[in-house]
Amino acid sequence: MIEASSLSKRYGAFRALDKVSFEVHRGEVVGFLGPNGAGKSTTMRILTCFISATGGTARVHGHDVFDEPLEVRKKIGYLPQRASLYGEMSVWEYLSFVADMRGLDRSVFKKRMRDIVEVCGINQVLGKDIRTLSHGYRQRVGLGQALVHNPPILILDEPTSDLDPNEKAEVIRYIKEIGKERTILLSTHNLSEVEAACPRAIIVSKGRVVADGPLDEIRTKSGRVRYVVTIDEKRTFDRDGTYRKGASKTAPTAQEVQDALAQLSGVSHFKELPTDDRAHSFEFAGSPGSDVRHEIFQLCVQKGWYLLELRREARSLEDVFKSLTKGDERLDRGRRVEIEPDDEVAASEDEDEEADEDADEGDADEGDENESDEGDEGDADEGDADEEASEKDEKPSGKKA
Amino acid sequence: MRTVWNIAKREFTSNFLSPLAYVVICLSLVLLGIFFFMVWGGGFWQADRATMAQMFQWMPRGLAFVVVPVVTMRLLAEEKRSGTLEMLITLPVKDHEVILGKFLGAWGLVLVLIAATALFPIFMFWWPWNLGALDWRTVGSGYLGLVLFSAAAVSIGLLLSALTESQVIAFFLTWATLLVFTFWGLAADTFSNQVMRDVAAYVSFDARLAPFARGMINTRDLVFFVSICFGCLMTSFWALERRKWA
Ligand SMILES: Nc1ncnc2c1ncn2[C@@H]1O[C@H](COP(=O)(O)OP(=O)(O)O)[C@@H](O)[C@H]1O
Ligand SMILES: [Mg+2]
Repeated sequence: MIEASSLSKRYGAFRALDKVSFEVHRGEVVGFLGPNGAGKSTTMRILTCFISATGGTARVHGHDVFDEPLEVRKKIGYLPQRASLYGEMSVWEYLSFVADMRGLDRSVFKKRMRDIVEVCGINQVLGKDIRTLSHGYRQRVGLGQALVHNPPILILDEPTSDLDPNEKAEVIRYIKEIGKERTILLSTHNLSEVEAACPRAIIVSKGRVVADGPLDEIRTKSGRVRYVVTIDEKRTFDRDGTYRKGASKTAPTAQEVQDALAQLSGVSHFKELPTDDRAHSFEFAGSPGSDVRHEIFQLCVQKGWYLLELRREARSLEDVFKSLTKGDERLDRGRRVEIEPDDEVAASEDEDEEADEDADEGDADEGDENESDEGDEGDADEGDADEEASEKDEKPSGKKA
Repeated sequence: MRTVWNIAKREFTSNFLSPLAYVVICLSLVLLGIFFFMVWGGGFWQADRATMAQMFQWMPRGLAFVVVPVVTMRLLAEEKRSGTLEMLITLPVKDHEVILGKFLGAWGLVLVLIAATALFPIFMFWWPWNLGALDWRTVGSGYLGLVLFSAAAVSIGLLLSALTESQVIAFFLTWATLLVFTFWGLAADTFSNQVMRDVAAYVSFDARLAPFARGMINTRDLVFFVSICFGCLMTSFWALERRKWA
């Protein structure tokens, strides 16, 4: 239904989209995910023929967006970002204007309205001026506007941004309702929405597609599980079971705990979680094939530490999203074509994170230093991102070597 | 055509959904009435000849400096700023239909106002006051001049509104442009250069409108206004298309 192939868009020297390709099939509800400025709206504007791509092609319902814009628009219901409607018109006037523009007969329009009023829940506001409506209701009217002609394809640009949590849930419910018999491309930077409404997601970052597939697949794509371990900071116990309270020479320091945990196989990315001063809490990643909970328990017994919490969970979509779009915001600020070579290096580094790790394991510390030096000459921000990444890797891999 | 009509209709009626249109129309009619009866009062009522010439001299100025900038400033600037333009354009319309619809909607409002001013000659020279025999042909040609002039002025306003996202800027640009074009002819006399003087006289609205008010319809004047209108609409279309490649 929607096929985008290597869409590119430049704003002056600024590359907003870089060879974006994806396909959305009939009846799919697809979440189009990405941080602000990733290029979601730009893509959608190209698909609705509002702007033209600098390169690449796209087809919607078999029509080329460049050659047959009217045919494309007839098949699409579009809700732009910040759905702006003519505030001085009433809801009914506005919707009938849209229907007129789309060439609907009065009788057909009235029949459609019965559905729309129900699906979008705008019954009470039909006679009100749009400018007097709350944001949530405007969004619903925007949805209604997109549905007037019963389009096979819906393109919704951040339909839930700026809404309060209740309104969000409502709109998501409407979208699910609508999506039963339609193809929907839904952009958002809110992950819980995607999890609620879309079986499939496309993640874009810095104008590129960084992940595309069913949510489960994307979740497992990073191939890691997350552990959380919390250990009492004040007390330890003897092997024979008697308590030792506050004995400073045996109470574990955070470093001790981390070092010990880092000995386990296949763990990386340590992060100390904030706690009160009675416990050390660490989060780290492990390989999906193995389960180190037994070893952690054994370790605690051996050391005489109290294990307060032990959790193992598959990585959440949010984590995947964060790692896929990592550093995006900071890089984005100063992103210009001049620094593009650096940019590309950074992007590929992000993607091949795991490959990097492996390399790090080999040449431990020296390798890290070199890397951050390289980063410095290009863009300060990028250097930071690299350093952060390497810091995380440093400890576990350093120990191992 | 249907979409052009729908856009024009929406544009036209939306003026009446806010007090703006009423204020502009009433204000201009009241102003015109005051001018009529007070300012030139004595002169007008005692004139030997029944004539509307003074009205045709002042109405274009009223249109240019009050009505047209107010009516056209919103047309595209406000829609671009608020984002409603994206909604409008992603309906199945062609860009030129948007431009044409907007133009017709705004021009329609100005025409309504012009038509309303016809009440003055009708009341005075026909019913109820029948102050004398008026040369209705002159009045007719004067109105034709106004209609043409308003089309040109509205298209200029539309173009300037297409070039900016601020209706305030659009208002002042339109106002200034129309001011220059209207009084260009007066300034022309001060130019020493003959060529400059000819050019100035050629593009002056005042000079172009004068023959209409005297009952003379020249093809050249017709073509002048129509081509301004056409040129501005084409340029507006280009300005709207420009967003695609920005
Ligand atoms: N008209 C424009 N001119 C210049 N840059 C633009 C324009 N529109 C968008 N951009 C830039 O393109 C990038 C992508 O924007 P957008 O597609 O709106 O992102 P998203 O919708 O994912 O938040 C942003 O960095 C934005 O600043
Ligand atoms: Mg956006």
